[in-house]
Amino acid sequence: MSLKYGVLGLLKGEPLHGYEVKNRFEAMLGGTWEVNIGQIYTTLQRLERDGLVRPVGARGDRGKLAYELSPDGHKALEQWLAEPDSGPQQLHEDIYVKLLLATRIANGGLQPMLARQKRAYLQRLRDLNRLEERARRDGRLDLARLIRGALLHTEADLKWMDELSSERFGAEAAKTE
Amino acid sequence: MKELVRLTDVTKVYQGGITGALNGVSLAVEKGEFTAIMGPSGSGKSTMLNLVAGLDRPTSGSVSVSGTDLGKLGETGLARFRRDHIGFVFQFFYLLPNLTALENVLIPAQLKGDGSTGRGRELLEKLGIADVADRYPARLSGGQQQRVAVARALINNPTLLLADEPTGALDTHTGEQVMELLGDLHREGQTILLVTHDAKLATRHAARVISVMDGKIVDDARLASPERAPSEVIRMRSEEKLR
Repeated sequence: MSLKYGVLGLLKGEPLHGYEVKNRFEAMLGGTWEVNIGQIYTTLQRLERDGLVRPVGARGDRGKLAYELSPDGHKALEQWLAEPDSGPQQLHEDIYVKLLLATRIANGGLQPMLARQKRAYLQRLRDLNRLEERARRDGRLDLARLIRGALLHTEADLKWMDELSSERFGAEAAKTE
Repeated sequence: MKELVRLTDVTKVYQGGITGALNGVSLAVEKGEFTAIMGPSGSGKSTMLNLVAGLDRPTSGSVSVSGTDLGKLGETGLARFRRDHIGFVFQFFYLLPNLTALENVLIPAQLKGDGSTGRGRELLEKLGIADVADRYPARLSGGQQQRVAVARALINNPTLLLADEPTGALDTHTGEQVMELLGDLHREGQTILLVTHDAKLATRHAARVISVMDGKIVDDARLASPERAPSEVIRMRSEEKLR
């Protein structure tokens, strides 16, 4: 997920000061991503250096400038929006490494770990359901869509645990190198 | 809380390799609980539901519902027990095609000798399908048919509502609506035992999720429902290197 393009996207609507970018960014993400103001200013400075945004108008109440998109900034944003996400699959939760290590250490005896993880996923599904309900109540359909994605991902994780728990996989001798 | 269902060391053996056998299942469900039973096909989850409903008898072990040991009941007693205590919702609705929606809903009451239509109409109203009361099932959508089936299950004020994949034959949105209905009933105090494949829907409404595999209960999770900040549930983060 990209802070750089998030900032560009927000500036497409109207020129904003750094703290306005921060507030709007966090509101857009519905509190799922808290950024510090320093990151926003660093991002804006780099975007200005690369010619994608430029300062505009008078200084705000903290002596800071507002920024708007440059023509190159518009182009870069359009291009980014039009590109599919085609990078590698992102797996940055601990369970993936835990699974690999446990396969070596426990010599294939993964059941307790899988059962604990499965429970954690069930609880996460419940929490995500609450969050989705809240987003819908607040009229945040965009956020509800995002949470729906998270629900489906967690459902897939749960199915993965079931698959790993089933005899078919349990009986396989794990080759670890 | 009051215990409503108890399975004690229940075994069910089927002849000829039919799947769904149970192997030493013990379980207690309290009044007012919304419990989901999950597991792969053939794991025995539907068998559990059928035993609790008195539609089937265990090979060994005991099943008691609302203080009644179902094993002590004869066929007539069991039929009466089902009529008075159990509401059952199936995946494929099982409405009688030559009866209207309202007539389908009224069947269990009529079996009890109650010929009034008032509660039937009331239930159809409550479930949002009063306008199709006089239609035949073939002229109802899947979602409407399942609502009729829910009304039929509720007509005798069952102690226990059992639902076996009630959303399995419905599209996502309609399935969600039917589950929302079950959630409402639970909030009104209805005890519900639900068999489902859909973990998303199960965890939305049921605070207890029982996992069944190969005829055994492998997990019995009671889920918490705290108010969590969004960032405690989802974390979006930048992997981007600033250049």
